[in-house]
Amino acid sequence: MNNFQFVLIALLSPLAQGIIKKIKALMQGRVGAPLLQPYYDLARLFRKDMVIPRTASWIFHAAPYVVFASVLTASMLVPVVSTGGAGLFGIGDIIAIIYTLALGRFFLALGGLDAGTAFGGEGSSREMTVAILVEPSMMLAIFTAAVASGSTNIGKVAGPGSVFFSPAHVLALAAFFVAIIAETGRIPVDNPDTHLELTMIHEGMLLEYSGKYLAMMEWAHYMKQMLLFTLAADLFFPYGISGAGFGIAAAVGFWAGKMLILCFGMAFVESTRAKMRFFQLPSLLGAAFVLSALSMITFIMTGK
Amino acid sequence: MPKAWVVVYSITDFITIGMLLTVVAMNSLKRMESCLRAYTINSILLAALMAVSAFYLDAAHLYIAAAVTLASKGVVIPLLLRKVVRDLKITHEVEPNINTPLSLVITSVLVVIVYSSLSKGIFIEGFTENTLKVSISIILISLFTMITRKKAVTQVIGLLLMENGLFLAGFSLTYGMSTIIELGVVFDVLMGAIILGVFLSQIKKTFIDLDLDKLTTLKG
Repeated sequence: MNNFQFVLIALLSPLAQGIIKKIKALMQGRVGAPLLQPYYDLARLFRKDMVIPRTASWIFHAAPYVVFASVLTASMLVPVVSTGGAGLFGIGDIIAIIYTLALGRFFLALGGLDAGTAFGGEGSSREMTVAILVEPSMMLAIFTAAVASGSTNIGKVAGPGSVFFSPAHVLALAAFFVAIIAETGRIPVDNPDTHLELTMIHEGMLLEYSGKYLAMMEWAHYMKQMLLFTLAADLFFPYGISGAGFGIAAAVGFWAGKMLILCFGMAFVESTRAKMRFFQLPSLLGAAFVLSALSMITFIMTGK
Repeated sequence: MPKAWVVVYSITDFITIGMLLTVVAMNSLKRMESCLRAYTINSILLAALMAVSAFYLDAAHLYIAAAVTLASKGVVIPLLLRKVVRDLKITHEVEPNINTPLSLVITSVLVVIVYSSLSKGIFIEGFTENTLKVSISIILISLFTMITRKKAVTQVIGLLLMENGLFLAGFSLTYGMSTIIELGVVFDVLMGAIILGVFLSQIKKTFIDLDLDKLTTLKG
């Protein structure tokens, strides 16, 4: 049972995407697509034929599989509703999770470059720039939670007896939220709803993909988003997770609630903010880094 | 003890860290309205801290001090400064002397220096044990803001934030002086803000611009 928690992330992540889109549409006074639209999109894409660029090498074909597999592997390591086995085979190390995701990102950027179009290269270059800027704040925020619980094993961090209500954790959560926005390509950083050449990051890399490959890439993207939400919940607000005195049913309820709150926060940020110019991103992500640095200092100062 | 939740949930830490955040945020904010809002939040949090302390220590005179702080620093001074900003038609800060990412890094280095140098030597018991470190960080960061910013209005806000930091430092050491002294300090700050407001208008009237760097180019 503990080893199959990742199925929740894999199956429900398109729904989370649908919920975010629906909330955004309602906030903007539109009716919006149905909640299950991402599922319909994926199902249709899986049935479609693919168009492969003439310049593409084997990397173009390998990238969707590597991206999908890396995100799936990373979500196997995360305790979603239960810390019982601390992830698959008890591995569950946060640093392993983050850098498994980085492997997927590396191949995503390679796939964008391999198609041989200008926009793909542009998207890859921007993606790697953002990745460099996000990584310090993300890791520092994670390390705050890790230091507070004395382990980088996420099963221990989220497990019973861990401290999670302190100023340090709130600051780290704020920094981690900004990092999630940047990682999932949401509005102050990237606009997920447009294919405008000047702004796109994630869409730029996927421009040459179609059919089954595009479906895998998109699904991996939804899964990564939900995986990061789950990580945020595990690291900074693990209250209600099974294995710390709650049953599985209650834990699933708590998890769904936390996911809904994070989806709502994401939709709120996207509806109220404007897209930033790319060269202003270092200010935003620098602020996130300072937040996470402050959270670490605060933890050292207050000792909790 | 019914009041234990103040310590258990480290309410004072939350409030003071919130104050520190607003001061750090000042370094990345460009719009005058946002800077003023940061100052307002900072003052409201200061008043909240005093109210919580009054509740925790059963000290009725601290409630009065909290109310006066809220009224003067949280309402009157921000409104006054907003009126000045609107009258002088200043909306944005020009690019500061040190760019935003670097100044954010410098602020966090300042906080590290304060925390590490105060971690031994000074021991304060009780529920405000961490407040002194935060308040001295606030003082240094707002001093840094005053150095890097070019417009006179932001420098005034920096000065007021610094005063909040000093107030916090004094408060964490003494748990509030007698009401007369508190009232006197608040009155001083209020007068200072009014005088600075008039001063800003005069600078604007005489030199057209509020960018203080340009004052150095004047030759007698």
